[in-house]
Amino acid sequence: MSINKYEEMNEMELDIIKEIGSIGNGNAATALSSLLSAEVKMPLPKVEILEFNEALGHLGNPEDVVAAILVEMSGEIQGIMLFILSKEFSDEIIFRVTGQPEVDFLNMQEIETSVLTEIGNIMISSYINALSSLTNVNVTLSVPQMAVNMLGGILSLPMAMLGLNSDRIMMITGKFKIEGRELDSDMLLLPDVESLNVLMRKLGVV
Amino acid sequence: MAGKQISVGIADMKITRQEGILITYALGSCIGISFYDPMIKLGALLHIMLPERNQMSDANIYKFADSGIRETLRKITAFGAVKGRLVCKIAGGAKMFEMKGPGGLGNIGERNTNMVKKVLQAEGLRVSGEDTGSNYARTMLIDVATGVVKVRTVGKAERTI
Repeated sequence: MSINKYEEMNEMELDIIKEIGSIGNGNAATALSSLLSAEVKMPLPKVEILEFNEALGHLGNPEDVVAAILVEMSGEIQGIMLFILSKEFSDEIIFRVTGQPEVDFLNMQEIETSVLTEIGNIMISSYINALSSLTNVNVTLSVPQMAVNMLGGILSLPMAMLGLNSDRIMMITGKFKIEGRELDSDMLLLPDVESLNVLMRKLGVV
Repeated sequence: MAGKQISVGIADMKITRQEGILITYALGSCIGISFYDPMIKLGALLHIMLPERNQMSDANIYKFADSGIRETLRKITAFGAVKGRLVCKIAGGAKMFEMKGPGGLGNIGERNTNMVKKVLQAEGLRVSGEDTGSNYARTMLIDVATGVVKVRTVGKAERTI
């Protein structure tokens, strides 16, 4: 039985995806923790299948200004990995890496942009490495790209990609806490529908 | 700008008359298209996401430039708008990320812009105001009492198009 729409997934399939998200996020958190030499924690990930406007509402207000690092997945798994950081989260990372106390979010220096892009990239790569070795799929990652802009605008790209044949998107979300501080960040795994079938097949769920 | 504010979501369209503000938030690669008939003070705002509707079975008509524009025109003319009087303005179509991947994803904003213009032209409509492209998101609003269309972006002053 194959999955044709996100909303057709059953409990067991959703649990499997959640587990994959959990392992991926765990690896990303470990990577962040060693990069910052700080304790990084994350609650259990959530798997959500939401209509476009609901998905956006779930992550914040459309006009919220956020930083985002985006990587396109191709190969056996297709879709997008998106790491969204609030200004506070990005300030914390930049402070810990460069000692710079506060950053002009909309006019970042090149060094600050590269720090965030590289940290996002390492976290995303760790996530996907875990996913790929767990499920034995080949995933090719694009060069990471960063943008600082309105949340709604940032999400328009994954929505356009995944929305071609669907009115919903699936988000496997993870949040990170640096040394107990609640700073907003969202790691999003956004797979297309066909990739879910690949994952299920590889894991022997038919 | 007084009166009620009506929010238009993603892949959505709203119509109002006489007064009120139609607003759609944070257009990235998506496009907002405003239609205004000054004679009867009727305005519509459409928020599309993709250029073309390929599957006729797709029920979400406002998701696509082609089907979204045609359906909006059908609705507003039913409400008494006359095509020859319509003022159309567009905003959005940005390239939020410099994508170099194989998917051709990066230029979705540009493809949207081109398709919107093509469909409007085929309908005999001219774009009389535009703020498209570049790499930032735009919130677009139309005041239906006056027909004034404004665009706001992060870190820049609001502008009238």
